[in-house]
Amino acid sequence: MKVAYYSPLPPSRSGIADYSTLLLPALRERIEIVVAEEGKRAPSADVALYHLGNDPDAHGWILDALNERPGVVVLHEYVLHHLIAGTTIGRGKGRAYLDAMERELGVAGRLLGLGVLDNLLPLLWETQPERFPLSGVVLDQARGLIVHSRYVAERARAAGYDGPLWRIPHPAWPMGVVEPATDVSGDPLIGCFGFLNMNKRIPELLEAFASFRRQRPGARLLLVGAAGERFDVQRRLERLGLTEGVQRLDYVSEERMWSLMAACDVLVNLRYPTMGETSGSVIRALALGQALLVSDVGWFSELPDDAVLKIPVDDYEVATIEAALSVAADHGATLGAAARAYVEREHALPAVADAYVAALEAAAGGPAVNDAVLLRIAEAAAEVGIDDVSALAQAAREAGILA
Amino acid sequence: MRVVVAAPQVPFVRGGAELMAEDLVTALRARGHDAEIVSIPFKWYPGSRVLDQAFLWRLVDLTESDGRPIDRVIATKFPAYCVRHPNKVAWVLHQFRQAYDYDRTELGQFDESPADRATRRAIERLDAVALGEARKVFATSRNVADRLQRFNGIAAEVLPHPPQSLAYREAESEGYVLSVNRLDRAKRIDLLVAAAKRDPSLRIVIAGDGPDRERLERLATGLNGQVTFAGRVDENRLADLYARCLAVYYAPVDEDFGMVPYEAFLSGKPVVTAVDAGGPLEVVRDRETGAVVEPDAAAVAQACAYLATHADEAKAWGHAGRQLAERVTWDACVDALLS
Repeated sequence: MKVAYYSPLPPSRSGIADYSTLLLPALRERIEIVVAEEGKRAPSADVALYHLGNDPDAHGWILDALNERPGVVVLHEYVLHHLIAGTTIGRGKGRAYLDAMERELGVAGRLLGLGVLDNLLPLLWETQPERFPLSGVVLDQARGLIVHSRYVAERARAAGYDGPLWRIPHPAWPMGVVEPATDVSGDPLIGCFGFLNMNKRIPELLEAFASFRRQRPGARLLLVGAAGERFDVQRRLERLGLTEGVQRLDYVSEERMWSLMAACDVLVNLRYPTMGETSGSVIRALALGQALLVSDVGWFSELPDDAVLKIPVDDYEVATIEAALSVAADHGATLGAAARAYVEREHALPAVADAYVAALEAAAGGPAVNDAVLLRIAEAAAEVGIDDVSALAQAAREAGILA
Repeated sequence: MRVVVAAPQVPFVRGGAELMAEDLVTALRARGHDAEIVSIPFKWYPGSRVLDQAFLWRLVDLTESDGRPIDRVIATKFPAYCVRHPNKVAWVLHQFRQAYDYDRTELGQFDESPADRATRRAIERLDAVALGEARKVFATSRNVADRLQRFNGIAAEVLPHPPQSLAYREAESEGYVLSVNRLDRAKRIDLLVAAAKRDPSLRIVIAGDGPDRERLERLATGLNGQVTFAGRVDENRLADLYARCLAVYYAPVDEDFGMVPYEAFLSGKPVVTAVDAGGPLEVVRDRETGAVVEPDAAAVAQACAYLATHADEAKAWGHAGRQLAERVTWDACVDALLS
């Protein structure tokens, strides 16, 4: 069986490119893969696999290919407003954007879309994309859907997707020996890696850390990653009196990042709102066996309670973060062991690749097999005067005979 | 209790699975239960026809019969365990192995076409649903339980069953090595015939019939007097063949369970098997209850020759096997299945 594989790949710098770099060799050991390239002719194959994320620059051409030829979609995040806006308004196709908004919210959606097109409303993909995911237009083209979380699976079903759906965990990177960096320290050392912005709850983390540090003066916070526009980290640090306790690094190499993560006692990876994404860096942190704080939202809520500390996004968020930092600092070994065991159990690359193959095989040949079985059942039923075989089909579906 | 034993049946084929279902019904009745076999013919080819067969079972209503409830369904094989029942117990002799360990081997039936691959996946899904809804899943051997775990993530309790009820007895060895099996390539009876070719003193009796018979007879050409094809034999003749043999040869490829070693042991005879025979290895232990050898003719010949020249050891191993076999009783099976 041959699979046409659509995904951003290095040198594209995205989490999905990293994901495919990890997954592709394992898939190639199991099935024939032909990687599609942007701007080139679509490869012929038994089934096409489309990895979709929210970045129109990285995924616009993949969405185009999906629209040309429906196939199996890997929905790496549920909110695709930015992708849809980029491939509609961004290409001068405002009407297509209005269609997507209408698909989502009916006439009200179309009217909101008109408001955006006429500059009467702020750009929804920048201000509140989570309220208007616009993934429906993608789901309509999916002949099978692969997701990483129950959260996205439930949202897809709620949006009306009724095709085959497989939940396949995000694979974990094989763990080599990681030497902890020796040029950073703290008692405890807390690390936060990734883009620094409001969405990552950096203001709440800084406030909680300031309070935590009053109890634990030796504590230090390592912030690794570039700051978002209009997000002045330095000013916030000064205002909270944290210039001493916080160390910032804008960009580090992959190897250095692993080393820094390993040097931390506690890692923090918060976010709200969620776009239904799975976090590669959270998987990395879990694989390292580090104590980890996450927001109690979306996929992150599905992580095991004994492996991570979950922070509800509510009025007590800052206080909860502060308390969780204490717990994580004191019980890091227990949390870390549970985290590592969880990753080995649920996110092992061979099992993930096997699950992909199962899904692709079912998607490629499933419809023909379903049709053949149903045809024979329908013929048998029709021969004795039963024309409505929907009840039989339902029974077959319940039994797993039909996908 | 009113108990249905749900078992598929391949018309005109009768083997261990059919015997097991019949013996189970007998055992249930002996314990005072109402028991009955419900069967549907099974044809697993071509391709997606296997799904039709599963669907037939899905449509069967076994919740009650003649206005009275059926309390339990014990399903023994694919696709019988697809039947719906609130108190379904699966006692798995084997899954549809063409979709699992036989896949992409010469024993498989699905090719690389998308339709065949999808059919195989549909069988996986079907097993997940059908066995997942059972109140309990038993496997007749560790080998079958391991496959359920490996391929489907289903935990099954190992529950072996006794062999068919025969007038087992032990008599003085007449020196021949007995094969009791369906004549089928996967049973590797050709290794025993080839062993006879290597060792002119080795006499073998092959009981059973099947699609591999012609080939085996061709292989045995020129071995006059050494090889006897006994064909399908009745129960008395079978018990007699067991009683008077030197040892029993039983070396199929990764067999699910295999009743033959139990039958040999109850006749006080050791078993010659192969290191990759699967289920039989759970009771045939090298130099304890038999000989476990590499699956090649030379090794089989050597093992048979050893037993011929070490009669006391052969007898001791057979007796050790008998102790193992006598521990497996229908009473224990019925208790587990109805608990």
